[in-house]
Amino acid sequence: MNNLDSLPKKKILSLFMTCGFPTLNQSKKVFNEMLSHQPNIIEFGLPFSDPMADGPIIQEANKLALRSKLSTQQSLNLIKELSKSKNNTSFVIMCYLNTVRKFGLNKFIKNIKSIVDGIIIVDLPFEEEDAIKKSLSKNNIHLIKLISPMTDKKRSKKLLKNSKGFIYYISATGITGSNKLDYKEINKNVKSIKKMSSVPVLVGFGIKSKKDVIDISKKTNADGVVIGSALIQKYFDIKMDFNKYLKSLKKFIQEVKI
Amino acid sequence: MRKYKQPSTVGRFGEFGGMYVSETLMPLLLNLDKSYKKIQKDKKFKKELNDLFKNYVGRPSSLHFAKNLSKYINGPKIYFKRDELNHTGAHKINNCLGQILLAKKMGKTRIIAETGAGQHGVATATVCALFGLPCYIYMGAKDIERQKPNVFRMKLLGATIIPVESGSKSLKDAMNEALRDWIKNVRDTFYIIGSTAGPHPYPKMVRDFQSVIGQEAREQILKVEKKLPDYLIACVGGGSNAMGLFYPFLNDKKVKIIGVEAAGRGAKTEETAATMTSGTPGILHGSYSYVLQDNDGQIKEAHSISAGLDYPGVGPEHSYLKDIKRVKYFGITDKEALEAFQTCSKLEGIIPALEPSHALAYLIKAFKNKHKNKVVILNLCGRGDKDLFTAAKAIGFDADE
Ligand SMILES: Cc1ncc(COP(=O)(O)O)c(C=O)c1O
Repeated sequence: MNNLDSLPKKKILSLFMTCGFPTLNQSKKVFNEMLSHQPNIIEFGLPFSDPMADGPIIQEANKLALRSKLSTQQSLNLIKELSKSKNNTSFVIMCYLNTVRKFGLNKFIKNIKSIVDGIIIVDLPFEEEDAIKKSLSKNNIHLIKLISPMTDKKRSKKLLKNSKGFIYYISATGITGSNKLDYKEINKNVKSIKKMSSVPVLVGFGIKSKKDVIDISKKTNADGVVIGSALIQKYFDIKMDFNKYLKSLKKFIQEVKI
Repeated sequence: MRKYKQPSTVGRFGEFGGMYVSETLMPLLLNLDKSYKKIQKDKKFKKELNDLFKNYVGRPSSLHFAKNLSKYINGPKIYFKRDELNHTGAHKINNCLGQILLAKKMGKTRIIAETGAGQHGVATATVCALFGLPCYIYMGAKDIERQKPNVFRMKLLGATIIPVESGSKSLKDAMNEALRDWIKNVRDTFYIIGSTAGPHPYPKMVRDFQSVIGQEAREQILKVEKKLPDYLIACVGGGSNAMGLFYPFLNDKKVKIIGVEAAGRGAKTEETAATMTSGTPGILHGSYSYVLQDNDGQIKEAHSISAGLDYPGVGPEHSYLKDIKRVKYFGITDKEALEAFQTCSKLEGIIPALEPSHALAYLIKAFKNKHKNKVVILNLCGRGDKDLFTAAKAIGFDADE
């Protein structure tokens, strides 16, 4: 069973959060709060020292998580523990390749098998994915593909062949947390992706508010959204008061569940 | 030995190298690779670059017989390949000219670069001024502090300097930020990477542009010594000056080749930049190569007195050359480099940059009273002007007096 295979057809909500942020213990509470809303997907970011594709907010979350020397094993244990109350929510890991490589691919898979439904390896392009994809699919874990506005049709076709789970469309050329959303362009590209693949297309990078979520749903053909930086930003908005953070997180997630 | 032919078409040097970047950058890199392949066959491009090398940079750089240093070491005959005489004071300009010509051909209108010592930043700002393109330089806040003369030079040349406050505030972090800028501005921006690091095709492209150093050195030494050198020595940060000298000699198996890394306070300490001596294979800045990392693959901060060598990674081709044992790599500490910096200044009347001072220190240490009748070429890839304040402080000289 892979939860990603039974995602709804529309209004899919995926919430991203960095593991171990702000601390390991607090992180548990953050994820439990997220889980209590039963979003369709939770993306667990594994902190990395050099998150090349991430903007300042997720960078800061990575830094805070690593301040207490959080290990990969601790992050994976956290995910395992949370999976007890997973229900229908899909678990997806988002990380950089060096983390998986150094941990060891087989050991990594052993740790997440039957717990995690999908994995996004940000810096693993299609050209380098063969061996990893094979091992993952043997264990019923989907390798989620990213498509950017720079990916042309010919390349998209290659990338989307046999795609599973969902497709992550990067809404703007940019790092996580960038702001400009061009609905026309998003709609055009999502439409073209949907012609090539039947799995849901989620839009991510730069979704910040209930309004953004509604606009994506109304103005584009996308099947849902990924929200990340905006969830983390709340912590800094509230001057790092953790109890207040949990409350504002609750309110925000309720809002974006449309 | 089979003829050396690296990298593969997908940018692999053995198992090292590759392209590990997000999907936003992938199409750009593939396009860059295609464009680079095209201009390699373009005679007009070659001619344009050679003219600039000759008339703007002042190439060929001379091959100087360092008589006094040779006598002092009492070992081999030492030749300096003097890329420190280049316009802007280091080898970095060779690569920048190549890349900006390519950027022009590709119709890019905005240039970004990372810099550590500031030499690559100055070289990039220089070619941007020459070609009239806006230039944005990412530089670690720590490096801005220790390379002030170069910061001012870049500003004079019209570049915008963007201080990087993340991580160790040095070269690694500047490169992260430059990559993020590129991801944000993919359509109009060309990223001029300053060393043989980063994703394919950069390690190959930078090596090719820098190999003018080795091609000239080869002709020059054959002329004066009537034979190939017995040894080549160069310092290795990301590895571009070293690859530039080494590459045209890789098939000459009698030529022994040595790369010198910065060991900071010692290769076995935590304060080092000796990637190949103290590191393990991993992925940094889009390339699989030796890196300084912990057991979880978190990249460590590097340390070196020399900002240009203060990098926890190294170009993938060096990792390959190390593993096939074609090149040997050694570490030199801050202290040893500083001593060589002074020795070279006094003996040869040449103030070297702190980067090649590491190569000099290895030469002095390992060749003293040895290898007589042998011939060594050392890549004197940069001059020391930019390091005067750092060196004065380290030596204990009050430069403000
Ligand atoms: C004079 C000089 N030498 C060497 C280096 C190190 O770079 P690479 O190893 O690419 O030659 C630098 C870098 O800034 C430099 O300025």
